[in-house]
Amino acid sequence: MATTIEQTTEVGGPPAPTSPGAHGGHPPTSTGVGSTKLAIWLFLASDCLFFGAFISAYLLYRGRSTVPPGPKDVFDIPFTSATSFILLMSSLTMVLALAAIQRGDERRLKIWLLATVLLGATFIGGQVFEFTEFDREGLGLGTNLFGSSFYVLTGFHGAHVTAGIIWLLSLWGMASQGRLKQADAEKVEIAGLYWHFVDVVWIVIFTVIYLVPQPGLAK
Amino acid sequence: MTEGTIAKVEEEISSVAHAEPAGALEPAPGLLPGEVHPHPSPAQYVLIAVVLCVVTAFEVAVSYLEGAIPDGLIVTLLLVMAIVKFALVAAWFMHLRTDKPIFRRFFVLGIVAAVLLYLVVLTSLHVF
Repeated sequence: MATTIEQTTEVGGPPAPTSPGAHGGHPPTSTGVGSTKLAIWLFLASDCLFFGAFISAYLLYRGRSTVPPGPKDVFDIPFTSATSFILLMSSLTMVLALAAIQRGDERRLKIWLLATVLLGATFIGGQVFEFTEFDREGLGLGTNLFGSSFYVLTGFHGAHVTAGIIWLLSLWGMASQGRLKQADAEKVEIAGLYWHFVDVVWIVIFTVIYLVPQPGLAK
Repeated sequence: MTEGTIAKVEEEISSVAHAEPAGALEPAPGLLPGEVHPHPSPAQYVLIAVVLCVVTAFEVAVSYLEGAIPDGLIVTLLLVMAIVKFALVAAWFMHLRTDKPIFRRFFVLGIVAAVLLYLVVLTSLHVF
């Protein structure tokens, strides 16, 4: 007997298979939302646990280093505040890029995407400078508990930002070749969700690691 | 029933059977898939960015009050301001205000799971 797929149209039944929708060729899903967008949100939810582990490790080791330098010896709050401001502003340029593609304004899309890339690259440049300065002041990855937990947490965040820069550069390249049209707005939105996520993670890191009053060395 | 009527009924049944299910991926004109309301305007985005800058400036200022006010108060103020900034970016820039609630539910689930898990771990290790 031939196998058949039943199409249920009753209220509450599973949705009937239909032809792809007009936006990006998504087939309908049981959740009623696109799989790509749902997947990026699930990834971001799982990344909360990823960064939570490193932030917790930092809190666990906070004030337990027995050898200098400690956070008070190396942190340059005005400098890190400036790089945090730059990353925050990159979220603004990112949403402006999305607004541009939704309007079909490809020229502004390219401008705002490139601005986001440049701001992200400036943030990474600042982080490299900061790490170099800390290293000069004697804080290496294996110097003490503070060094290990600080470099691993902020290093993984920097790696996320770098991945975001590469992603946005590829979108900018597509836009420059005229391969990113108004109908592809969801691609920019999904890259933007990732970008804003690295921004909100930095909001937490900046507060918890840099701004909260620091303890001295453990005795 | 005539041939024509039967064909008409069949066509109607077919159109119902192949109809888009409730909540399918056909957004209203001008909206992206998964969007319920339109995204904010560029002017609103700029306004949110200004608010974020002001809150960040307050955060940095509060961190310099160490020694002048109790550390507990500084930590509380900093955490409140960080939560405000986090919520503003998630709601406005990540469009959780205007998109379908399923995205918000997934993201909140991830945050709540992370906070609960690590609170239990850190408490059991006597960090607090």
